[in-house]
Amino acid sequence: MNEVLMRIENAKAYYKLEKVSVRAVDGVSFEIFEDEVIGVVGESGCGKTTLSNLISMNILKPLTLVEGKVFMKIDGKFEEISSMSREEVKKKLWGKEITIVPQSAMNALMPTIRMAKYVEHLAQSHELNGKELLQKAEKRFEEVGLNPLWLKRYPFELSGGMRQRAVIAIATILNPKLLIADEPTSALDVVNQKVFLKVLMQLKRMGVVRSIIFITHDIATVRQIADRIIVMYAGKIVEISTMEKILQRPLHPYTKGLFNSVLTPEPEVRRRGISVIPGTPPNLINPPSGCRFHPRCPHVMEVCKEREPELREVEEGSKVACFLYSEERT
Amino acid sequence: MASKPLFKFLLRRFIFLLVTYIVATTIVFILPRAIPGNPLAQLLSNLSRLAQANPEAIRAAERTLMAEFGIDKPLLVQYVTFVFKALRGDLGTSISFYPRKVIDLVVPVIPWTLVLLLPATLVAWILGNTLGAMAAYRRNTWIDKGVLTTSLIVSQIPYYWLGMIFIFFFGVRLGWLPTQGAYSLGTIPNLSWGFFLDALKHYVMPFASIVISAMGGWAIGMRVMVVYELGSDYSLFSEYLGMKDKRIFKYAFRNSLLPQITGLALSLGGILGGALITEIVFNYPGTGFLLFKALTTLDYPMIQGIFVILIASIYLANFIVDFLYALIDPRIRLGQEE
Ligand SMILES: Nc1ncnc2c1ncn2[C@@H]1O[C@H](COP(=O)(O)OP(=O)(O)OP(=O)(O)O)[C@@H](O)[C@H]1O
Ligand SMILES: [Mg+2]
Repeated sequence: MNEVLMRIENAKAYYKLEKVSVRAVDGVSFEIFEDEVIGVVGESGCGKTTLSNLISMNILKPLTLVEGKVFMKIDGKFEEISSMSREEVKKKLWGKEITIVPQSAMNALMPTIRMAKYVEHLAQSHELNGKELLQKAEKRFEEVGLNPLWLKRYPFELSGGMRQRAVIAIATILNPKLLIADEPTSALDVVNQKVFLKVLMQLKRMGVVRSIIFITHDIATVRQIADRIIVMYAGKIVEISTMEKILQRPLHPYTKGLFNSVLTPEPEVRRRGISVIPGTPPNLINPPSGCRFHPRCPHVMEVCKEREPELREVEEGSKVACFLYSEERT
Repeated sequence: MASKPLFKFLLRRFIFLLVTYIVATTIVFILPRAIPGNPLAQLLSNLSRLAQANPEAIRAAERTLMAEFGIDKPLLVQYVTFVFKALRGDLGTSISFYPRKVIDLVVPVIPWTLVLLLPATLVAWILGNTLGAMAAYRRNTWIDKGVLTTSLIVSQIPYYWLGMIFIFFFGVRLGWLPTQGAYSLGTIPNLSWGFFLDALKHYVMPFASIVISAMGGWAIGMRVMVVYELGSDYSLFSEYLGMKDKRIFKYAFRNSLLPQITGLALSLGGILGGALITEIVFNYPGTGFLLFKALTTLDYPMIQGIFVILIASIYLANFIVDFLYALIDPRIRLGQEE
């Protein structure tokens, strides 16, 4: 196995509102290895974006890191990034170590200046040589299949798919180790989606970025690129497995529902993905007791209502949080 | 290549302005005529005093005057005459200042209005936007709260009310500043230091009352817009890339300034209408004051004339701004789909 790039330990990130807390990420632990692509899947509102904010330490009120730690390997040694101030995070992490391609990448570029100017400003912010960074940007544009001359243009002069690639090119200009992409393809048509995924994988192959977190609720997309899958349900990780394992034999009942829905032939069901599982996701202010999935689970047992299952390795490369796979199942 | 969309844009704007100009002049023509009253009444009563009330003579005079002002003709004819004469720059004869020409009455007061409102509008715009941007940059600090609260209060105060408070304190109570006119009664405008200082003293209060009351609105608008831009996708992305806060703020400021420029242009275009009530409160000899007199005497040609000039200047300003805007904003210049 590769070396660990990032470690998240029992992290709880809540949206602290006036009276209540939304427990959007509630005690998750996992590792991100070097040179891997992790797909994060789950229903809308299960905490995927919150998880990406946690990993990138983009924690702005009302979001609060209530408990837990996040470590990242920076220059060969682990640092606790969860104890950094926002200023430090901006200075040390963003752009250089971690980069985020936001959910709305189409509008992510400053609209009223030319992209080349933007790159120059980036160089100034990072105290780098502007000309050199611009040359790098030109090269990167070529690598993602864009004409480097387009750097001299305004973002709106590019089509949606091209703009997305321009965003990726600029986002990776400082060779960040980790790239987090939150639903990057949901606004694109099928052709552009394919191109985008190809570009992403190519950047990884070239070593521009080391690891990728790919957040989506489109399982058909994620299975093309991910090495491992994190399945989230109601703020918790219910299963982490390698792509192979999860396709062969999904363990958690929720994962099963999720992946079965992808295999159904009707495009409508495929598109809506997870919602074919009967019932609705719980509210995260007052989640169900025990296993949060138990009200919707076809295999529900007494123990599921009372105790929370732990995420534990049941086979090599497969961790699941479900009493079906533990000895305590009486 | 790049100039073609620009040309199209400007052509489209020009046609739009032409159409709205016709609509606006029509309204200007109809509205004063909708006010009940006889515009000639005042003039005739003056005449009757002179002519020792000879009814025959007065009726004859009324007929001549009706013909002179064209009020005896059908409305449509009046309208067409008005539009064509206006296009040639002939705004007709004033009723209440008969027989002086409207244009000769309006032109001399224009500089006074320009001198008051051009700097006041610009200063209010610059100060307001600076304050608003500052508040947005330091949002949720006491600076922000201070600017926001003051702006809200100040922008709700009617500017003439502010003017009256000024008159009361600085004019009447403290006696520091003159309260009426643009210069002392009895002096004749000239280019001496003495006159300049005298005019300046008269200038302070109307100027300050306009600046202060207009500033709040600009500040609030700017703050809202900058805060919105700071939360937009490109700001977040820039942050994720480690872009310096100052730079991101500059982006937000730049993008917020564009709509504010339109606002400024609209205000500048409306300047020739004068600050009606401020001019009345301070007895300031500008277009607003003249318009007030014209309205109270139902002087159709004068009302029409002032509005025609006003509309023309608003349009000119609009057109210039559209042009500037196209130059500043690449999305318009390069023809982004709307
Ligand atoms: N700013 C906020 N304040 C309060 N609650 C929030 C806030 N942002 C998100 N939430 C709540 O936190 C939970 C997780 O939200 P999150 O955006 O992480 O979900 P997601 O999995 O990314 O959903 P989607 O697939 O729709 O993007 C949801 O219940 C959401 O309502
Ligand atoms: Mg999301």
